[in-house]
Amino acid sequence: MAPPRALVLWCPDWPLTAAGADPAVPAIVLTSGQVSACTAAARATGVRRGQRLRDAQRYCPDVMVLDEDPEGEARAFEQVVAVIEETCPRVEVVRPGLAAIPARGPSRYYGGEQVVGSMVRDAVLSQDFVCAVGVADGTFAANLAARAAFDDDGLRLVPSSSTAEFLAPHPVSVLEMPELTGVLVRLGIRTLGELAALPPRDVLARFGSEGAVAHRLATGQEARPPAARTADEDLSAHLEFGPPVEQSEPVVFAAKTLADQMHAKLAERGLACVRVEVEAGTADGETRSRLWRHDGLLSSLAVAERVRWQLDAWRTAGQLTGNLTHLRLAPDQVVIDTGRQMSLWGQSENDEQVARAATRIQVMLGHTAVTRPRLAGGRGPVERVVRVPWGDSVVPALPADRPWPGRVPQPSPSVVPPSPRPARVLDAVGAHVAVSGRSVVSAPPARLIVGKEEHAVTGWAGPWPVREYWWERSRRRRCARFQVSTDDGRAWLLAVEDGQWSVEAVYA
Amino acid sequence: MVATKRQRAAAALARTTGAEVDVIPEDAGIPVLPALQGLVPELRRGQAVEVDDAGVLALALLAGPSRAGSWCGVVRMPECGVAAASELGCDLDRLLLVDEPGDRWVDVTAALLEAVDVVLLRPPARPPTGVVRRLVALARKSGSALVVVGAWEGSSLRMQVESSSWSGIDQGHGRLRGRRAKVVAKGRLTGGRTRSSWLWLPGPDGSISSAELASVSSMQERLAARAATAGAGPAEGTDPAEVA
Repeated sequence: MAPPRALVLWCPDWPLTAAGADPAVPAIVLTSGQVSACTAAARATGVRRGQRLRDAQRYCPDVMVLDEDPEGEARAFEQVVAVIEETCPRVEVVRPGLAAIPARGPSRYYGGEQVVGSMVRDAVLSQDFVCAVGVADGTFAANLAARAAFDDDGLRLVPSSSTAEFLAPHPVSVLEMPELTGVLVRLGIRTLGELAALPPRDVLARFGSEGAVAHRLATGQEARPPAARTADEDLSAHLEFGPPVEQSEPVVFAAKTLADQMHAKLAERGLACVRVEVEAGTADGETRSRLWRHDGLLSSLAVAERVRWQLDAWRTAGQLTGNLTHLRLAPDQVVIDTGRQMSLWGQSENDEQVARAATRIQVMLGHTAVTRPRLAGGRGPVERVVRVPWGDSVVPALPADRPWPGRVPQPSPSVVPPSPRPARVLDAVGAHVAVSGRSVVSAPPARLIVGKEEHAVTGWAGPWPVREYWWERSRRRRCARFQVSTDDGRAWLLAVEDGQWSVEAVYA
Repeated sequence: MVATKRQRAAAALARTTGAEVDVIPEDAGIPVLPALQGLVPELRRGQAVEVDDAGVLALALLAGPSRAGSWCGVVRMPECGVAAASELGCDLDRLLLVDEPGDRWVDVTAALLEAVDVVLLRPPARPPTGVVRRLVALARKSGSALVVVGAWEGSSLRMQVESSSWSGIDQGHGRLRGRRAKVVAKGRLTGGRTRSSWLWLPGPDGSISSAELASVSSMQERLAARAATAGAGPAEGTDPAEVA
């Protein structure tokens, strides 16, 4: 059975458009150290998605590097969605930069897919957003059609009869299932046509449910078989706010609970949803709703995140001004859950509790307030630890398990202030102790003064000269470290740089 | 004593299978590092322990449970020495840091107490009595322990470093190798008596071990052995044939 006709609008390089980058200037967006989007100018020099920053800079040394900003992207895309909505209702945001519309209704109303496609394209172009539109059977094919249309006049219709033909020459990498397609390519199956030619039963037997989904997409069918469901079952989750709430934080937290409820209802019936509808209402009677792509893959936390982006976008656009009175999450287009196998003994209940507490604190204080420490490479005590916000998976830029000659030796200090505290070090006659460029100490240190505390020095070691990043103007550092023990039983890690002493850490 | 649900289930299982089943009772304490067991055998769930300073001792109290698989939280301690904690045996994968909770520190500590086994907290100078009671009640309800840097009303144990000295460092040479410290513990957990113990806090590899006089010589032997291997390294590397 062919999937329903879909119209997909694609805005190329959306993260950069949202950040306001000029396509003629080489710029990239980085996501966990890899290029996730680049401008046309950057692509012309050889920069590609998935490259590491260093490789991208090798192709294009003066490339501008931007950080990922999913909220800003969603906010900016809201303008595009609002323009499309003037023509067709039921816009589904696949992700910022990619929107899908069921094509059947609008094309009957306006008199043809060609007409609807060009109306949508022209409406978005008139707002100065670069875009392309594709119409085909199902969103997967329509998305590829939109990409094919971009080099052309920005509109491509693939008739129902030739969807399979249209898909056949595309490489399997367009499925965006890197693990599966890696194997397929090594087996000599390079295009969707070659994959579609295989018997579906054998693909399922060899590659499991992921392979079956890939095969269905390659043959121009829906990713999952639609589920026949009795119409009166309510699978949505809904919450009224007693006194209407002003900030979006409590709403986002509630959204997490609602998403849990909705997922539980779906899971009971062995179902998953393709899209989730987010609906919010305000005290002055306004109601807004928007569809987000789900595909049974989003966690409750990810759904809550999309609710936050959406509320943020509506607020910024001035479309949802009053205090919120209700929030509703409804699954849209329910399908049979063919499943992702969870590990049997994977996450314990305890880990889930911790995740819940961490999220609660993040809602209270912001995303970066709760961190998990990671050991990183470096010589000083501050550089050796990176604090990664909960939920992020940042690999420290410098690996810890390499030799770092000149590193402060074990045992590590137990008190490491985030920034060094200024100190004074005096010799026996009360003069400042200085260290020459050749690492000669003017006199043995005798007293250490930190703030209002003053201690007698009982032992000292150093200087250990450090010269780091001499090739980089902004990070270069030249200092000498000392370890000093004092009469109160503590020991100190001191650094002297440009004649100024500071406490880098305390051994207490 | 009323049997808990888990113990009843274990008893039923033992009857049907005829085998003894190991069950950890729910009121089991939270383990501490072996070196600290002379001072405090275990941390009790629902009780608070005071530590005088935000140093190795506070981190060592986290290391025991963390090694045994518990999650730990650290609140209001941006200067927490994570590398030192890792050397003591803390599993960084199960450590949550909330460095600057501002005036929401009570809510943050409450949220963590419900989820993790041990929370290390440095409260502001004089925490209000109501807050102290609320947090301890919450710890009791959720079965977690609170380690507080500073004063805490109603704590079951107070631990402090009475005297300490660093070794390995001299006038202009050497490096810090270990700190021999006398740690004193007193409170309900020790039956009101004062217990004290000499510890390497930390030792040369960052871990802690006993430093009673009997074991000091062995530590000095260890240091000597380390120095010998460090010094002898290159000599061993030379080819005997080449020397001959």
